[in-house]
Amino acid sequence: MGREAILKSVKENKPTLIPLPMLDLNNFKEDINLLEEFKEKVKLVGGSLKELSSSETLENEIKKLYPNAKEIVDCSNQSTSLATVTISEGTNPKDLQNIDLAIIKGEFGVSENGSVWISENTFPIRVLPFITNDLVIILEKEKLCLHMHDAFSLISERERTFGVFISGPSKTADIEQCLVVGAQGAMSLSVFLF
Amino acid sequence: MTHADKAAEFNKNEAKVNWHDKALWYVREKRDKSAHGVIGWEHIRDVASGIKANVLSNLDNYLIEFEKNALNNGIKVHWASDAKEHNEIVSKILADNNAKKVVKSKSMLTEECHLNPHLEAQDIEVVDTDLGEFIVQIAKETPSHIVLPAIHKTKEEVDDLFQEHIGTKPSEGNPEYLTNEARKHLRNKFLNADAAITGVNFAIAETGGIVVCTNEGNADMGSHLAKVHIASMGIEKIIPKEEHLGIFLRLLARSATGQPITTYSSLFNKPAEGKEMHIVIVDNGRTEQLSREDFRASLHCIRCGACMNTCPIYRRSGGHSYDATIPGPIGSILSPGKDLTKHSSLPFASTLCGSCSNVCPVKINIHEQLYKWRQVIVKDVKQPIVKKSILKVAGGVLANRKLYNFSGRMARFMLKYAPRFIVYSKLNAWGKARDLPEVKGQNFDQWYKVKRKNNG
Repeated sequence: MGREAILKSVKENKPTLIPLPMLDLNNFKEDINLLEEFKEKVKLVGGSLKELSSSETLENEIKKLYPNAKEIVDCSNQSTSLATVTISEGTNPKDLQNIDLAIIKGEFGVSENGSVWISENTFPIRVLPFITNDLVIILEKEKLCLHMHDAFSLISERERTFGVFISGPSKTADIEQCLVVGAQGAMSLSVFLF
Repeated sequence: MTHADKAAEFNKNEAKVNWHDKALWYVREKRDKSAHGVIGWEHIRDVASGIKANVLSNLDNYLIEFEKNALNNGIKVHWASDAKEHNEIVSKILADNNAKKVVKSKSMLTEECHLNPHLEAQDIEVVDTDLGEFIVQIAKETPSHIVLPAIHKTKEEVDDLFQEHIGTKPSEGNPEYLTNEARKHLRNKFLNADAAITGVNFAIAETGGIVVCTNEGNADMGSHLAKVHIASMGIEKIIPKEEHLGIFLRLLARSATGQPITTYSSLFNKPAEGKEMHIVIVDNGRTEQLSREDFRASLHCIRCGACMNTCPIYRRSGGHSYDATIPGPIGSILSPGKDLTKHSSLPFASTLCGSCSNVCPVKINIHEQLYKWRQVIVKDVKQPIVKKSILKVAGGVLANRKLYNFSGRMARFMLKYAPRFIVYSKLNAWGKARDLPEVKGQNFDQWYKVKRKNNG
């Protein structure tokens, strides 16, 4: 059956061993401002970005941006009083279908593409960042890296369960190449830097 | 029907062809802009190509390593030699879980295996959840592009389809309205699905994890809501180490649509508590392609679609003219390996301009492989009598200097003085839909000699 037949066929048909090439990270050195580059790329991919000033609170700014959100899940650990729904590992993922807003702590951002790495450690139910109508990611502005090579070295020691790089809100251009924001995942993504 | 016959069908609607051509070229331009913005882009391509070559030369060991690590993480691993085995494995997993409703995200492999009709015959509802794939599914068609499945449909056509299948109001093809209606319809499907099927963009030997990339979020909506997640992958999706994702994720979306990365790049390593995750590893002709030294590199492909967007033939003939799961230049070197007779016209659907090889993120020598397939095909597959005779005559003329000069003079004379209906007869494929350039009295040889004489 399958397994043995496939492995045997690969063994018979593969070429002699070709060595694995090495990536030279020196090729990607760039003297850029990570924060400015990150901001620009978040906007490019359709997200919005807000850098909190010392006089602004996260709570107020989120309220201002999403005044109509009623069902709110807050996993950001920033002691806001925004949460109206609490969830845990035991929550049925399908019960999240009416969530208006989810707030999640991002671990770090990637300047070259405006993506943020979030992992299961920071939200108890995997479907949360996708099923919520709107998504807010909170990120410390020092936690930025230049490119995906650095990003993978930052997560190389993690406990591997589930994690995702998110770059902007869900989108599609499948009807005559017209870009529409809000496909099957979150309708909007706002990154709050503090 | 040959590719040329089907392309002629597509070309009957000139306005649509022009739109298709421009829309895809625009995507190619976005790819250029995005790629040129990356310092060290060519180094990334070189290394990516080298990693893929290493993978193919050590694939059996990587597959074993991948399986071991995936099993350790609680993922169930299955192996399928061909499409039939793949479909049977998927059916069995669904039956074991009493799953009757399935949501699927984009997977060219399940298209290749014709999984949908197989499941539907067993009364299982399968819904394609990528918007483009959903459109072609309700239209009872196949994707015409691997990244933009419904690029051959106008918005008005989508409007009509949605009115008929999901009860939308007439909107003159308003993309926002239609996308939002599809979102509502698909939400309901996600929430009620028993199982989710996804493709795999990369499978990492070192960790036993897989990566799925989407812009819509449909793979994640499906796999995290349903109890069972089945991911189908071809054996060539393996990469050795997780750090290599840094390379491939930088290349994939930029090459595909010009985005710096897809909206979601999801790394699945373990099933969530109380859920099941299955990976089906499929051969279906890939080890045979591995055995062909000249065509082996076609297995480097990461399915970005850049070769299609840039191809002057693809842009003007449409994906369906290839009559294959994977259309375009890369499809034209993969498909003949599966069925040489059926797909024998595909390697000729190219100008051999090499643009496909230039944009390929993993540096597959696509146009050279197309040329190599042609050598195989003219030997193994019967060629049309007209083409055969013309090439025979041309061979004779080109081998004989006097005959060549005479034919050149004749041709110039005819093009100048023969009546239009003769010059533009059916035999002259170059005269279809365009006028030939004005004919000069001399050929280059004569012109050059005169010029030298005059200049001393």
